[in-house]
Amino acid sequence: MQLSTSEISELIKNRIKDFSSSSEARTQGTVVSVTDGIVRIHGLSNVMSGEMIEFPGNTFGLALNLERDSVGAVVLGDYEHITEGDTCKCTGKILEVPVGPELLGRVVDALGMPIDGKGPIKTKLTDKIEKVAPGVIDRQSVSQPVQTGLKSVDSMVPIGRGQRELIIGDRQTGKTAVAVDAIINQKGQDMKCVYVAIGQKASTIMNVVKKLEENGAMEYTTVVSASASDSAALQFLAPYAGCTMGEFYRDRGEDALIVYDDLTKQAIAYRQISLLLRRPPGREAYPGDVFYIHSRLLERAARVNAEYVDKFTKGKVKGKTGSLTALPVIETAAGDVSAFVPTNVISITDGQIFLESDLFNAGIRPAINAGISVSRVGGAAQTKVIKKLGGGVRLALAQYRELAAFAQFASDLDEATRKQLDRGRMFTELMKQAQYAPLSVSNMAVTLLTANNGYFDDVPTEKVLAFESALHGFMSSKYKKVMDDIESSLELSEENEKKVVKAIEDFKATNTY
Amino acid sequence: MAEISTIARPYASALFSLAKEKKCLAGWSKMLGLLSVVVSDPQAKAFISNSKILDSEREKVILELCKSNIDKNIENLIKLLIENKRLLVLPEIAKFYEELKDADEGVVEAHIIMAEKPTKKIVDDLIKSLEKRFNKKIEGKVEINKSILGGTKIIVGDTVIDASVRGQLDNLAYTLKA
Repeated sequence: MQLSTSEISELIKNRIKDFSSSSEARTQGTVVSVTDGIVRIHGLSNVMSGEMIEFPGNTFGLALNLERDSVGAVVLGDYEHITEGDTCKCTGKILEVPVGPELLGRVVDALGMPIDGKGPIKTKLTDKIEKVAPGVIDRQSVSQPVQTGLKSVDSMVPIGRGQRELIIGDRQTGKTAVAVDAIINQKGQDMKCVYVAIGQKASTIMNVVKKLEENGAMEYTTVVSASASDSAALQFLAPYAGCTMGEFYRDRGEDALIVYDDLTKQAIAYRQISLLLRRPPGREAYPGDVFYIHSRLLERAARVNAEYVDKFTKGKVKGKTGSLTALPVIETAAGDVSAFVPTNVISITDGQIFLESDLFNAGIRPAINAGISVSRVGGAAQTKVIKKLGGGVRLALAQYRELAAFAQFASDLDEATRKQLDRGRMFTELMKQAQYAPLSVSNMAVTLLTANNGYFDDVPTEKVLAFESALHGFMSSKYKKVMDDIESSLELSEENEKKVVKAIEDFKATNTY
Repeated sequence: MAEISTIARPYASALFSLAKEKKCLAGWSKMLGLLSVVVSDPQAKAFISNSKILDSEREKVILELCKSNIDKNIENLIKLLIENKRLLVLPEIAKFYEELKDADEGVVEAHIIMAEKPTKKIVDDLIKSLEKRFNKKIEGKVEINKSILGGTKIIVGDTVIDASVRGQLDNLAYTLKA
């Protein structure tokens, strides 16, 4: 942005004119020690827990430990210039980040400052990063779906608006891919997205942003980045900052989706801070409140009722519910879900999507384990058409896995078992989906209907996906009206079902797959 | 490592309650002041922390140094501190003792920093308004410091009231930078 000289002096003039010259009374303290971003301060007798503390050189910190003789604070950002004996002041403010639609399409750090080189963000509002989740009275049960565009997720583990669905798996199993696909599929679904990257490589974050841009998803997405090189304090704070940005939409009767990628790294950053603050370590050296850092964060993802929105907006928005859907990501080590942090987050969330390395390596991507992936509340929110058609998929896949294990020992199998195995194999193949290629509800419905009615049975397994995509092409060119009808009503009327079945038969007759 | 203040506090509160019982708050305050000066001396510090010297010798030297100025109870305090190897904490103990004494008397010390020597009336007025604000008796201590340029800066405990020209210039610089 170019500024002319007059503009600059005008700016300065205004600032000088508005500058209030009243004396200020503030509580002051002295830095006693600085260790890896943790500062001990003597004095500051009136400091609040979580209050911002001002250090010399325009640096701020966060008071975390209030002890009898000292205050333990964590510095936000660089701390090399802070030395023993420096004076610091209380600001009387709890940490806040900018919020609002101006943040869409931008990449910001954990404090909401832009880091994408696109200039300053002109937000009008700021909000506290630590807030209490809506209470029981303010909530409403989950009833609207979040379409991820992934066949396996939408049919087997449906997610509702306001739900918290954990994505869990080892490294390199496609956790981020599932989350990013879900964001990409929100295009035109009236959903704002926040992607919080915690402790990831800057190059990985850059790739995600690039992919979101390529797919036109950045228009409705904010990326909050606390990369591996950022201080532990920022990595710890990033999810709360992102959550506050998402809550902006929830409280105003809109729907938002937030991805925390990943919370394991946040717990590790918090462990570092806690140990440096000399808080007693517990299991796996995590502090005693590691459960609480995740539970208070995930509780803020909720669906709030119309009265809450009405009250919050002071009557400006009426009759609309708001929601914040959370997709936290947890990375396990060697598939160990009984480690401390994974069990904590599993117990907090409303279900989980398990991704497995074995499946991933066998080419089944997304590598979702159908047996242990669940959605505890999403069923109520699933689209009618998918609910009707996708009911059998999970069962078929779960039975197939069991049967396949047994079938390895048997030399000849009876007809029924063989058929079931074939069907399972077909479904396994059918649940594969390329990255960045989310499916619409109508296409998903056609696929599931084809499978349920056995039209895939005589298609060779390796040709199932080719058949599917050719069928989708055929449907959209020849039966556009039916497809549009399904898409808008999200239901499959008997009449439409007959039409689709006929279309599938027609397509099969062409033999063009 | 426990912080020095954490170590000093119980000594100070014990001393204070004993002094109050014996009604010799002011007297002990003077003795503690003297002792902290003695202990803070670099040579004395080296002597105290020298591990080659026996505790009994240390005790003898220190008591000899302040013999005429301390009473039996403070003598016992020195012996106790030597036994616990906490003699160097004495200045901190004296500081806490003073704080407790001031709190008991309802007196707070105010550090008034000014660029030029103020008239007595200004200081008196200032102290009067500070007493009103803090609701306590204020003991003013004026310090002349040219670097604040003008106005005044008042430090009462942890609270800093900055009405100096330097402070306002700093604020202006911050506003322009932000």
